[in-house]
Amino acid sequence: MLCFHVCAGEIFELKAELNSDKKEKKKEAVKKVIASMTVGKDVSALFPDVVNCMQTDNLELKKLVYLYLMNYAKSQPDMAIMAVNTFVKDCEDPNPLIRALAVRTMGCIRVDKITEYLCEPLRKCLKDEDPYVRKTAAVCVAKLHDINAQLVEDQGFLDTLKDLISDSNPMVVANAVAALSEIAESHPNSNLLDLNPQSINKLLTALNECTEWGQIFILDCLANYAPRDDRESQSICERVTPRLSHANSAVVLSAVKVLMKFMEMLPKDLDYYGTLLKKLAPPLVTLLSAEPELQYVALRNINLIVQKRPEILKHEMKVFFVKYNDPIYVKLEKLDIMIRLASQANIAQVLAELKEYATEVDVDFVRKAVRAIGRCAIKVEQSAERCVSTLLDLIQTKVNYVVQEAIVVIKDIFRKYPNKYESVIATLCENLDSLDEPEARAAMIWIVGEYAERIDNADELLESFLEGFHDESTQVQLQLLTAIVKLFLKKPTETQELVQQVLSLATQDSDNPDLRDRGYIYWRLLSTDPVAAKEVVLAEKPLISEETDLIEPTLLEELICHIGTLASVYHKPPSAFVEGSRGVMHKRLPARTGSLVSVIPSHTLSFFLGGDIGGSAAMGAGFGAVPAVMPASLNAPMGGGLGDLFDLGGGVGMPLGAYIPPKTVWLPAMKAKGLEISGTFARRAGVIQMELTLTNKAMSVMTDFAIQFNRNSFGLAPAGPLQVLSPLSPNQTIEVSLPLSTVGPVMKMEPLNNLQVAVKNNIDVFYFSCQYPISMLFVEDGKMERQVFLATWKDIPNENESQFQIKDCHLNSDAASNKLQASNIFTIAKRTVEGQDMLYMSIKLSNGIWVLAELRVQTGNPNYTISVKCRAPEVSQCVFQCCEAVLKN
Amino acid sequence: MISQVFILSSKGDHLIYKDFRGEAGCDAVNKFYEMVTTLTGDQPPVVMKHKELHYVHIRQGGLYWVATTKADSSPFTIIEFLNRLTALIKDYCGCLSEKSVRMNFALIYEVLDEVVDFGYIQTTSTDILKNFIQTEAVSAKPLSLFDLSNVGLFGADTQQNKVAPSVAATRPIMSSRGEQGGKNEIFVDVIERISVVIGANGVLMKADIEGEIRVKCYMPSCSEMRIGLNEEFSIGKSQLRGYGAAVRVDECSFHQAVRLDEFDTYRILKLCPSQGEQTVMQYQLCDDLPTAPPFRLFSSIERDTGGRLLIYLKLRCDLPPKRSVLHLNNNPALPLFSYSLFSSLSQELSSPDQSAELQPQNKAVHWEIPRFPGGAQLSALFKLEVPGLSSASLQEVGSISLSFELPKYTCTGLQIRFLRLSPIQPGASQRWVRYVTHSDSYTIRI
Repeated sequence: MLCFHVCAGEIFELKAELNSDKKEKKKEAVKKVIASMTVGKDVSALFPDVVNCMQTDNLELKKLVYLYLMNYAKSQPDMAIMAVNTFVKDCEDPNPLIRALAVRTMGCIRVDKITEYLCEPLRKCLKDEDPYVRKTAAVCVAKLHDINAQLVEDQGFLDTLKDLISDSNPMVVANAVAALSEIAESHPNSNLLDLNPQSINKLLTALNECTEWGQIFILDCLANYAPRDDRESQSICERVTPRLSHANSAVVLSAVKVLMKFMEMLPKDLDYYGTLLKKLAPPLVTLLSAEPELQYVALRNINLIVQKRPEILKHEMKVFFVKYNDPIYVKLEKLDIMIRLASQANIAQVLAELKEYATEVDVDFVRKAVRAIGRCAIKVEQSAERCVSTLLDLIQTKVNYVVQEAIVVIKDIFRKYPNKYESVIATLCENLDSLDEPEARAAMIWIVGEYAERIDNADELLESFLEGFHDESTQVQLQLLTAIVKLFLKKPTETQELVQQVLSLATQDSDNPDLRDRGYIYWRLLSTDPVAAKEVVLAEKPLISEETDLIEPTLLEELICHIGTLASVYHKPPSAFVEGSRGVMHKRLPARTGSLVSVIPSHTLSFFLGGDIGGSAAMGAGFGAVPAVMPASLNAPMGGGLGDLFDLGGGVGMPLGAYIPPKTVWLPAMKAKGLEISGTFARRAGVIQMELTLTNKAMSVMTDFAIQFNRNSFGLAPAGPLQVLSPLSPNQTIEVSLPLSTVGPVMKMEPLNNLQVAVKNNIDVFYFSCQYPISMLFVEDGKMERQVFLATWKDIPNENESQFQIKDCHLNSDAASNKLQASNIFTIAKRTVEGQDMLYMSIKLSNGIWVLAELRVQTGNPNYTISVKCRAPEVSQCVFQCCEAVLKN
Repeated sequence: MISQVFILSSKGDHLIYKDFRGEAGCDAVNKFYEMVTTLTGDQPPVVMKHKELHYVHIRQGGLYWVATTKADSSPFTIIEFLNRLTALIKDYCGCLSEKSVRMNFALIYEVLDEVVDFGYIQTTSTDILKNFIQTEAVSAKPLSLFDLSNVGLFGADTQQNKVAPSVAATRPIMSSRGEQGGKNEIFVDVIERISVVIGANGVLMKADIEGEIRVKCYMPSCSEMRIGLNEEFSIGKSQLRGYGAAVRVDECSFHQAVRLDEFDTYRILKLCPSQGEQTVMQYQLCDDLPTAPPFRLFSSIERDTGGRLLIYLKLRCDLPPKRSVLHLNNNPALPLFSYSLFSSLSQELSSPDQSAELQPQNKAVHWEIPRFPGGAQLSALFKLEVPGLSSASLQEVGSISLSFELPKYTCTGLQIRFLRLSPIQPGASQRWVRYVTHSDSYTIRI
């Protein structure tokens, strides 16, 4: 704060006035003091004089003095004690206004010593006959808790507060709920609010009677309740629905939050579900007629709602059309929602609008509008042709930034619909010279390289770019390199010189490691095996996905639980921006009864492939397309010297051994006439081994050992005889390693990894069963290609997905990935969202079953979440146990 | 939960600063001003963040009204609250200005104390608050009926200030306590905002009306007010009753104090108005306007032999002849020419009281028509010299936007049938009913 020094004279003057006998003069003096305080002047020197004015029956003066006290008590704790007596006396005043005022002010004085004196008056006020005093006291408990939580618990204020939830006055109920909600947040595990059907019923009743602000507290509190079944959730929804027509948008949004959350539990075929969906649309539309500030916040929320339940607003496209006088930030949000709602039914209307927007004045908005046209083309296949022709019209205008933006999106359209719109290339080439933004240049170069065989003068065009190679941005340089190599592979005879030139520019004259490495890779590839080069460079690229910028579903679920809060405006979970322990609890939508929570709906998996298939939303990375695919596809044909250069995708980790569980006793000596067998399983160099320790605890020598397995789930069988060559004398121990094959007879066991073994020796035949870690069945070639992974994940139905928690694991995601890899659990991709690392992993079992998994690691949180998806869901549990064992060792 | 509330003048002076939870320092005020003044155009200013503190603000009366929070609070709550706070303070102080806030700081602190406690919003209703507030308002402006410098009725200046004494609406609600002769007045305003998009082919592409009924009450004792709307008023598509002159809206929401027991049958709103201003009813109508949109425009754009751009506009007002439009601004946007310098604009307008000018910063031509009688037709020809004009660039001429105000007119046709107060007010009470339609976004594409 800027502290102006008040000159001594002024202080002296005020002092005199404060001590005046005349009430009016006193009041004016206190006012002056407060005016100085507001502008940041230090008037703490007047503390004793102001406190002296406290004992007055003039309410106006009293309020002013209290205002002063709240501000300065903290800096003058000793003097603040002087005021305590008056406070305590005021708490007994016959006038409820004064009682409430005293309690309110005392709670605001954040001085420890004062809190001791506060307890008794507060206890009385909590039971006061006047609701105004009670509601003020309820808030005061929260204030006190903030200063000294222990004191509040010891004094039993929390119980009194809980009782106030059943108060007859709705204002009191609302404040009690607000105070309890806040206190509960700092004790995540306490059952303070104790929401049960009875208390919910009380809250719902109070909801109808209290002020709009109280309704918000109550609705927010309701949103935290988990109904027992769909019946209960429907009845709550029914009682909350009338709030949707409230004039206060905050009430509406809190109601929307409750409904969106509880709707999750309703079966979709229920009539009521459809009714509810219909009821949600009008209030959301109404929000758009509010002030721009509210509109913006509303649009950010609608953006989330549209992603979660597009059906709510699918008929309301028109309300998102921009008005010319909307502020730019509102326009951009509206555009985003328009694209999310675009479908075959309304695409013509949307396109007509977008085309109009592209002629507006604001450059940012025009750019986004052009981009939006491209996104429509990718999203709605039937409209692609119309979009392309719209874009061509726009290119004709020759407005520089429109042309550039259009070229960037046309590149994306080519990625989505290869070999369909090549006729427009000629038009694009005409505008080559006007491109000055790297993104547009890179896009154009990509197009030229990709369709080099159809552009007669492709070599000339690319050559012209090559002249200023060193002045280009990295993005353009990389693209140019790839484009020329493509051209060379397509027209080897004429372009030898060009490719030499670009390779030497990239490898010798550049100090950018990305560019150099890519140059070297191409160079060696071209010189060692042109056929392989062709396969790699001209490989078919994956089609880009339509949903490029959806919010990742787990995050979306969490954000839906926070509708109407700051989280929904930032589109970040509260833990990302709220400090300390408050609010770190991750909220989840309730599961629909009878079905598992699907953690990753397949359509958004495209995310983890990052730039490879991302559209222009992820443009920066988008151009990495060709090289990023390369390492994976190169591994097979090349190997050898280059192999290690390419093996980047595999994760650069230290060679760790596969996880081998410690030996356990399988057959105690007691049960087997003196033979004790302990053992474990291991996978070494691709061979499964059963490692046994045989101990002779009997008095006689043991010979003639043999082993047999019963039929088991994965067809494990000994691959050779049990190698116990010499007889086993008493008290002798021998280590035997038995190689196993997986071609034996199969029978499903319970549990799945159970193995029944028979061991024979000269004395008898003994039976025991043991469980093997399923990880020894994970084969070395279990690394799935990214695209295959994506397709497989989509393909496996969501019911096959199960989710587990791994507790107390203190590895970071890279260490975890390395550890898992040593046990043939391969990380295919990694993505980081909001400090949460997501590892996507694949596993192949010896019998050819693929298991896909997603591991989520939150920095600083020792609990991991793993989701396992497999066509044979029975193995999920075993796989999870394995991962847990691997990670913890 | 609100952590602090403060009010800043447009120059960044601290007018009011109130800390509710002691979790953030008062350096937040200066930080806020620094952030809000360095925002670039496309950054949404609504919610800003610095370190752990989130700032939500609105601008009203040339002042910044800011609330900060540390928790994941609801921005809706905060924005609604700030809007209510401005309304409250306007009610208490008469008008919103730096001066009135400065003069009434003690009152505003008192209001803030009652309205928010420990960051929890308690109430914003004047009815409840009047029991607690002790401080008298200091009126920032001496009341004078001759002071016509501030004739804004609804934010826009009007020349029809005979409609209602506009100064009367800017006095504090409570100040009448002192002077017994204070007028018993009540204002009921029906305000509609129309947004229209007319396509290049003249087809009406979109037409929305947002309306509200606002009551501003100065009466200290008014137990019940009954507002009668058109009897054939209907909500939603299904409720249309026959043909007739039905007034229809799509959606309707009411202030929570409104009792609707007579609404279904008689279309009467019953309420006990609290002192001060409140929005009693809000409604919307999309697409299905009862009448044609008020303006039609015929345009032609061509290039003459000298390479000049010719824009010929003919504007027709389709309102009944009795009505007239005030302050029509007409902005053909011309984004194409952002790169070239205009060398000149020459114009031919159909009457002398109109004016037109080129606004290079907006890339638009601004045509202003002070008064436009219903049924009339005006035309204008603009000649622009644009270096390097090509025929393709004619496509780039953007749309035309109109802004206007239609006094004594509602596009939906909503009317107040009657306004009854009970008990019968002692002394002379005055009741004013005013109608106005504003343009929100009226766009005609060419």
